[in-house]
Amino acid sequence: MGLMSVILLCVLSLVLAGSGTGLHGRNASVSHEYCVLGAGPAGLQMGYFLSRSQRDYIILERNAGPGSFFQIYPRHRKLISINKIYTGRRNKEFNLRHDWNSLLSDRPNLLFKRISQELYPNADDFPRYLSTFVKELGLKVKYGADIGRIKASDFNGNQGYILTDQNGVSYQCSVLLVSTGLWVPQQVDFLGSDLVEGYESIPTDPEEFKDQAVLILGKGNSAFETAQSILGRASRIHLYSPSPVRLAWQTHYVGDLRAVNNELLDTYQLKSLDGLVEGRLEDIAIVRREKDGGKRRTAKKRSRTSTEGKEQLYLTLTELLDQNGNNISKVTGQNLPGFHTDNFSLRQPYDRVVRCLGFRFNFSIFDGSARPPQSSGARGRLPGITAWYEGRGMPNMFVLGTAAHSRDYRMSAGGFVHGFRYTVRAVHKILEQRYHNIAWPATKLPISQLQSWILRRVNEASGLYQMFGVLGDIILLRGSYCEYLEEFPLQAVPQLSALSGQPLTDHGLLVLVMQYGLNRTDTLGPGRAESEWTKAWRSNFLHPVLYYYNTLPTDKDMRQRPVGWPLPRPESVHHMVEDFLTEWDQPISHSQPLRRFLEHCLQTDLRAFYAESCFLLSLTSRTPPLFCRQGYLRKQGIVGNSHLWQHAREAGLMADHHGHITPGHDTSVSEYLKHADAAVVSTMNFDL
Amino acid sequence: MCIVYLIAFLFSLTSEQCSSKLIEDSSQSFMERMHTGKTSFIYFGNHVNPTIKLFMEQLEMSADALQDYGISVVKVNCSEDAIANYCTGEKLMTKAYLFRGSEVLRSFDIDTVFDVNAIVSHVLFSVLFNEVRYVHTPAELLRVESAAKQNSDIVVGHIPVLGLPEHRALMEAAFVYGTKYQFVQTTGTLVLKHMGVVDPSSSQAWLWFLHCKGVSRRSDPCPSIPMRKPLNTINIHTFLQLMEAPLVTEAVLDPSDVDVVHMHLGVPVLYLFSQLQTQQLDWATAQTLALQLRGEVGVVVIHRDGPNVKTSLKYNAAYRLPQEDVKYFTLNSAEGVVKLFKEELLQEHKFEDEEEDEEHWSDLDILDDEVSESVYRDRDLMLDLESVIELTSDTFQITVTQNDITVVLFYFKWDAVCMAFIQSYIEVADALEGMNGVKLAAVNCGEWTDICSDHNVTSFPTVLIYRPMAAAQLYKGMLGTKSLHRFILLSLVSNPYLLSSSAEVMSFLEGDLYSKHMYLTPVRVLGLFSSTHDMGVTSFEEAARLLRGETILGLFAHKEAEQWVEGLSVNLPALLVSRSPGVPYEVYSLPSSSPTDLVSLIKQVELDRFPELTVENLPWYLELGKPLLLLFIGKEDSTESMKALAEIKQLLSSGQLDSFLPCWIHLGRTPVGRSILEKYLGFVPPLPVLVMSRLKTGEEVFLFPPERPLMAKNILQWIHDVENGQEQPAGLIPDGKWGPPVPFFDFLAIMDQEAPTYAAQRAPKMKTGGREDHREQKHGTPNQRQTPHPSPNPQAPRQHSEL
Repeated sequence: MGLMSVILLCVLSLVLAGSGTGLHGRNASVSHEYCVLGAGPAGLQMGYFLSRSQRDYIILERNAGPGSFFQIYPRHRKLISINKIYTGRRNKEFNLRHDWNSLLSDRPNLLFKRISQELYPNADDFPRYLSTFVKELGLKVKYGADIGRIKASDFNGNQGYILTDQNGVSYQCSVLLVSTGLWVPQQVDFLGSDLVEGYESIPTDPEEFKDQAVLILGKGNSAFETAQSILGRASRIHLYSPSPVRLAWQTHYVGDLRAVNNELLDTYQLKSLDGLVEGRLEDIAIVRREKDGGKRRTAKKRSRTSTEGKEQLYLTLTELLDQNGNNISKVTGQNLPGFHTDNFSLRQPYDRVVRCLGFRFNFSIFDGSARPPQSSGARGRLPGITAWYEGRGMPNMFVLGTAAHSRDYRMSAGGFVHGFRYTVRAVHKILEQRYHNIAWPATKLPISQLQSWILRRVNEASGLYQMFGVLGDIILLRGSYCEYLEEFPLQAVPQLSALSGQPLTDHGLLVLVMQYGLNRTDTLGPGRAESEWTKAWRSNFLHPVLYYYNTLPTDKDMRQRPVGWPLPRPESVHHMVEDFLTEWDQPISHSQPLRRFLEHCLQTDLRAFYAESCFLLSLTSRTPPLFCRQGYLRKQGIVGNSHLWQHAREAGLMADHHGHITPGHDTSVSEYLKHADAAVVSTMNFDL
Repeated sequence: MCIVYLIAFLFSLTSEQCSSKLIEDSSQSFMERMHTGKTSFIYFGNHVNPTIKLFMEQLEMSADALQDYGISVVKVNCSEDAIANYCTGEKLMTKAYLFRGSEVLRSFDIDTVFDVNAIVSHVLFSVLFNEVRYVHTPAELLRVESAAKQNSDIVVGHIPVLGLPEHRALMEAAFVYGTKYQFVQTTGTLVLKHMGVVDPSSSQAWLWFLHCKGVSRRSDPCPSIPMRKPLNTINIHTFLQLMEAPLVTEAVLDPSDVDVVHMHLGVPVLYLFSQLQTQQLDWATAQTLALQLRGEVGVVVIHRDGPNVKTSLKYNAAYRLPQEDVKYFTLNSAEGVVKLFKEELLQEHKFEDEEEDEEHWSDLDILDDEVSESVYRDRDLMLDLESVIELTSDTFQITVTQNDITVVLFYFKWDAVCMAFIQSYIEVADALEGMNGVKLAAVNCGEWTDICSDHNVTSFPTVLIYRPMAAAQLYKGMLGTKSLHRFILLSLVSNPYLLSSSAEVMSFLEGDLYSKHMYLTPVRVLGLFSSTHDMGVTSFEEAARLLRGETILGLFAHKEAEQWVEGLSVNLPALLVSRSPGVPYEVYSLPSSSPTDLVSLIKQVELDRFPELTVENLPWYLELGKPLLLLFIGKEDSTESMKALAEIKQLLSSGQLDSFLPCWIHLGRTPVGRSILEKYLGFVPPLPVLVMSRLKTGEEVFLFPPERPLMAKNILQWIHDVENGQEQPAGLIPDGKWGPPVPFFDFLAIMDQEAPTYAAQRAPKMKTGGREDHREQKHGTPNQRQTPHPSPNPQAPRQHSEL
């Protein structure tokens, strides 16, 4: 079996290499404008955009199919990304807010729900979906190209990259897009780490854990997933890591522990023999107890009865071990914490110790000339990148997908499919501008349409919703109109003009962001939600926020932005109060406060007026309100009917012309319509 | 010291009431009085009932007050001395009379002069009849203003109810200062609005001082300063003194030594220290500040270089409140000082402002947009969309290709303008229901966002017209029932209509062809070409397609076309316009141009030369940018109105009004015209009225003098006078900026107040990713302790033991 597939792979890669270059020998070389490294979700997403804009690109994949990470992971084969296929809505953009697995494309049916109807789908479905995506969109993927070395090189004065695969074929790439994901299991060095099994290789059959005491290092989703799978078989499961459990439903970060996997919290809190412990990983040691030492007889007895020949593992602390030589084969009772503290939590031995500490970026394939630095956050597991996802100090190399999560680690969804599909789209727009001089797409809107456009975005946009606090809509004010740019990376706002190709004017700009609130209250406690729009800034749940700047914020402004803010302190800010239904469309709580904020920023009256009011205002003021100028005076006034005018008059908002009763006017309209087919010659002048 | 005297005098006016000055006249003394020529206020009575008794008490008090103005107050007992004319008749007992000598200036109901204040105010008002101008409208006030410019200043008092203490205070002031200032009294709310009072409905009395004397050019408005204190004698006096005081006083003394009139009037004084180098700048600042604080704060500029100025250099300003010591401070900006005074030091005002603010905030949840509010009031109304097809992604393509014409509305449910329009849209759909080949449909863009994006709809509401095998046509007309309905019906007409004979041309122009569309538009536009091979024909045909739904166009490309322009100054190709059957055609030559240029040409020739302005057609005419010669006609089509229309038509045909847009508004059909007149003139004069309004070029509105007959030659003369500046404007069109209608609700300010560091920019050195260090600190390692013991429950380690 194994041999067969290896042979097949070789043949396949040879065929591919052959067809790609027309050369069979070693040291073959191909060049592409864009090389995408890895055919996972991020790589394919970028492939789609490159193919749509008809760029010269190639996606290089070492395995035989796309998304191979998902062939192995998650080990217990249940995806925890939500696949909510029924939302009660038919709005395709809105529905993407609740579809965490699909990639973006212009094919309305190329969605994950075609593959699976499960809320938490089987992991096998994801590579299947990706294959469908590749096939239906005809993406250029080269499988079996295992890039082992990447080095930087000078291409006509620009830095490019040369990639070499296992067959010695080299790829010259003007732009390298690294979407290799995270493959290398994260390890911590401590004494006895060789006695520990890794998440990547543990058996997934719970029977293998029957009646075993298991210590799991880590408290993330993989740790809990493992725990959950063996919960019914293991005798005791302890989870050990430095930080306490962070619950995704409390932190709003989907990388924290999802409720899907958290049954162990139940068995812990109900004292059913499982538990969580905090402590540093670097300080521990996993040891086997020395059989010769201590009380031989009892020790022998116990080891015989408990397990079949397998020796048990103890957790101890390095400081308790003999300082000389660190000989962990000679551990006695005195080297264990229980000897010193009789009620030490982890004093009982374990049958297995499992490491579930996540994954890191594979830096090793990068030559010194092309290696991006390690990120400052995320324990250095990720490459350091700029606000526009370019490797730090690595021009023309962009990092996409999970590997690009250092920008919003523990903050937003950039490390997950439902988040990075949007950052990939943003990066693609930046590429188009930088290498092809195609400016970031902008919709030109008259100012009178701005409010309804913002409401539209707020109520349906999925990129803002998923990539909260990271991507934001930019509205460049230009006087009587504005340019609306969707989903720009917020941290790159100081470089807006260069990255987007949109010129700046001195009219200022608005930024629309979705964000969670201060989160200072109990997530499920009273007072967790705000409903008063005047207190909207205290909203805890995801809600839209608008920032208004006179001038573009600088890098310095951005660095010194208020703690926890996605953007620097603006001239003025508007929070739209959180909504239980996430529908921000109510006239009093949402629309009117938004309109008044815009009025303040634009220093103009944005109210709507019926044609009759505009008629009056056009004849009695030299500059009527904006709505009349951009609607009525362009012959597009909103006429209304007597019923509506009556309401407006009763509210005291529309002038009443000395008791001239409007129903009279109304009958004339309905009569007019009644006579629609009769030849009535009217004395009225209907000229337009 | 003159001031002291004046105050004493004014006090005496109100307070001196020691002994009764009421005189009782016999018939003899009455006859003598008639000959003295003096002014007296006389009441004739014959018996006393409780009402009269109260009145007599008030009369007695008024005698004291009016004595100071040289007016005697007299009562005559008719039961003892029956004086002819006055002691007889029904009016006896209920009337009082003001005499000058033997002449009756005015008679008053005693209900009007019910108390001492009413008596004094009414009597003084009658006496000062010639000095105090009474105005109703802003236009009248403007006339008084322009007369007073460079001549004297004006005191305008707004008295909501006559005869109250405020009225008396104003009249007493007018009596004292009447020679110095032009006094104006008004009761109308129109003037209040004109003076910028936010809430004219409140029955508060107001007083303004208009600095007309000092205006440098007659065209400049007189700067007006409102009195911000209650209207009483003392306050008026103080206020007038402040208005007279120099705007800025100069001094070379220390603040505490400077003596300015403000100190004596109990008004705060602001001192600004000026340096030699910045003298001019300082002076300008002082001027600006003084203008803003006029009437409330006195401004003094102190030159630092004076030897007597000892103030420390670290201060550049000081202020002194009445009865307090000088306080020094550093001035950063002029606005800051104004704010300091308005919001902090002038306590009374602060209080008032706060009250106003509170009212504003409580109003925040009230919709102030007429469209939103009217739609919101319909929120329990279920829209009946039966006659409109709701389209989805699945049905859109099929539907729009099925009918001759599919009208599609793109809308958002939460957009008030869309929802207001959808009512009209349903009305049109109902009216067209059952008509073959026409279907009205709607796309909810909140749900079918993909359809709306695919059709590049970026503005809401949008109406697109779909025909099979043709690109969608954007409906560009008014979003109302009538306009859309007409557009759809006219869209069904094939455009252009190809005419093949002169007979058909006649039928087309006279409306026999398409007679059923006559009520939609009586205008017919005909393109005349000598043959179908003319280059212009295709262009014309394309233009006609673009104008589908808007204009009925005919095309006559035939050798007989020549006949239709025979004898006219125009050669083929030509455009013939028939405005309605029986009316002479207009003819225009047709240059060869692009279809879009042709469209604008046709649109232009279609315009009426003397249109009736309506809500629906105004934008087409305003676009011309000409001054309006606007005739307002009443509801009833009177002969006068007809005549006026005819007179203007006559001028029009003689070409003398070419620089104007002559037009008319029928107040019956366009009732909002009444509000326009009110805004122009402040009132609605008897109709018809002719008004000239220069919307684009000037702010003035001129009224054709109502006393002159609306005749062609008078109108021409009037226009001539207006152009030569010989006519006074009757009103102004404000160039007000439409700023935000309510104050800004400032979240940042609230954050700063409630969570001071939350919205503050970080200090430069702080770093973002402090998380790691934080964690290490918090979750101490086991080896930090004497006895290593990782806590199984980090959040509540102590509670662990109790389990």
